[in-house]
Amino acid sequence: MTALVVSFAVFGFLALVMLSVNAALGPRRRSNPAQQTRFECGSPELQEGIRPFPVKFSLVAFLFLLLDVEAAFYFPWALILREIKGPALAAMIFYTAILAAGLAYAWAKGAFDWD
Amino acid sequence: MTLPTAVFPLAVTAFGAIAVLLLDAFGKRDSKTPLAVLSLMILAASAVLAGRLWGRSAFGFGGLMRLDDAAILVSMIVLLAAAFTVLLGWQWNRRLDAAFGEFYGLLLLAAAGLMIMAQTADLLVVFLGLEVFSVSAYGLTGLKRNDDKASEAAVKYFLIGSFAGAFMVFGLAILFGLNESFGITQTAACLGTGLPAQLGFGFLLAGLGFKLALVPFHMWAPDVYEGAPTPIAGFFSIAPKAAGFLVLSRLVAAVPKDVWKGLPIFPFLYAVAAATLIIGNLAALRQKNLKRLLAYSSISHAGTMLIAVLAGDGASLLFYLAVYLFMGLGAFAALTAMSAPGREYVHLDDFAGAGFRYPWIGAIFTVLLLSLAGFPPTGGFLAKFLVFSAGVRAGLVPLVVLGVVTSLIAVAYYLRVIVAMYMRDPAPGVDIEAENPPALLVLFLGLVGVLQLGLFPANILHFIRQAAASIF
Repeated sequence: MTALVVSFAVFGFLALVMLSVNAALGPRRRSNPAQQTRFECGSPELQEGIRPFPVKFSLVAFLFLLLDVEAAFYFPWALILREIKGPALAAMIFYTAILAAGLAYAWAKGAFDWD
Repeated sequence: MTLPTAVFPLAVTAFGAIAVLLLDAFGKRDSKTPLAVLSLMILAASAVLAGRLWGRSAFGFGGLMRLDDAAILVSMIVLLAAAFTVLLGWQWNRRLDAAFGEFYGLLLLAAAGLMIMAQTADLLVVFLGLEVFSVSAYGLTGLKRNDDKASEAAVKYFLIGSFAGAFMVFGLAILFGLNESFGITQTAACLGTGLPAQLGFGFLLAGLGFKLALVPFHMWAPDVYEGAPTPIAGFFSIAPKAAGFLVLSRLVAAVPKDVWKGLPIFPFLYAVAAATLIIGNLAALRQKNLKRLLAYSSISHAGTMLIAVLAGDGASLLFYLAVYLFMGLGAFAALTAMSAPGREYVHLDDFAGAGFRYPWIGAIFTVLLLSLAGFPPTGGFLAKFLVFSAGVRAGLVPLVVLGVVTSLIAVAYYLRVIVAMYMRDPAPGVDIEAENPPALLVLFLGLVGVLQLGLFPANILHFIRQAAASIF
């Protein structure tokens, strides 16, 4: 327990030291109009920042998450399947059925129609 | 493999939610009425299954599920709140461009999450339930997809809520490192052992405090209540409080009484309660939007409930929650009723003269506001009385005095609404569509509940004492 307190103190102290040393030794910051531009390299910009991209990509990310978490769950399950057998198989089928329901919901709601 | 009966109420709600979502996706029907009816049936079935276990303290999953009387009572409050919300949304959703089947599915999922929180004595499972509730709640907040305020509220809620969730996990990690257990009893036993335990508990409380909208973690509440669909805001005002305060009082009850007041966490909670009472009530004074006003009002009520937690008095806490279910959701029912296709009337000026134009809504809303302010003979008075007397018995006199003084301040903003309804000329342009039987039913049930609990509380107090005895 004292180890926990000490480690908290040490990490906090280290963070403070790094910040203060940085502030003390670093060059004074001067403002320059070039620094306010989007690209700080001094050449005039040719186009407006990053173009907006379809929000539909976020949906793909969500669906990826749905199946990714599933995979993270299957690995430890596979390791103990031989020991527990029946109940483990039943539990995983149950779990997969819930995930499948989620996927079916997304499908029916048109998550896979790109246009 | 036999399933424990303790799982049934939760399972019915959770699988009901999935069934409703799938039905909505594959049904392709415009009318959402079947979904509303199905949701009500699911909630009723879950409540019946939970009620049958009363007095038996069922356990499941190696003790991870603990369906004692307190858990059953809080589950009942959550289920009833969800049922009221379904009734409120029935017509409102169609009028306000929020008629999505997800309203019912996510609402059931949120209720299931809160039931998980209430029905366990394991902090990791509490976190699981909290996240199930939260993720559904973010979706529910942003249900009005074409409304800027709703989207803003949903994003704010999501960011702040995730942040709070991270705090809570951090606290849980520290506590688990100390005693290698997530059990509430073991965790509470290690509280007196030193600074790390206090730190972990502090982080845990910060996470819970966000969800309960305790000051200083309350900033999200007014924006979320304003942006969320009005029925959902009513659900947020009571259901998460019921589950969260039960978890909190389980933790407090597991700490030995003589140790509890010596812990550094005690003055922290004391200060949080004082700040919640003061800021909740003072900020409410300045609100013109009734949804924001009720948001601050629910914050200040959370402060009063925290007094009951600090006093370690489960019975008065549960009674307060039961009364708040009726008066809080009843008040939101009045706001829900004040709507017409395409717009709702939630500004104080919209309520000018409403007492005479819409006599039923006005009269019941008045009683509910008086109950919120704590006037006898309503349930609000008795609830405050029980909490304050428990506080005095536990030696929290300064906090109770503060509670009484802030209740007096609260009278000002509640009465201002009543004054607007009865003593000002009717507002031009307010034209509500009065045919909204489900919402009026909730309004009426709110009135019945508030008067029943205020005038004839003996029966219910009997059950509540039984439930409070089982907290630990």
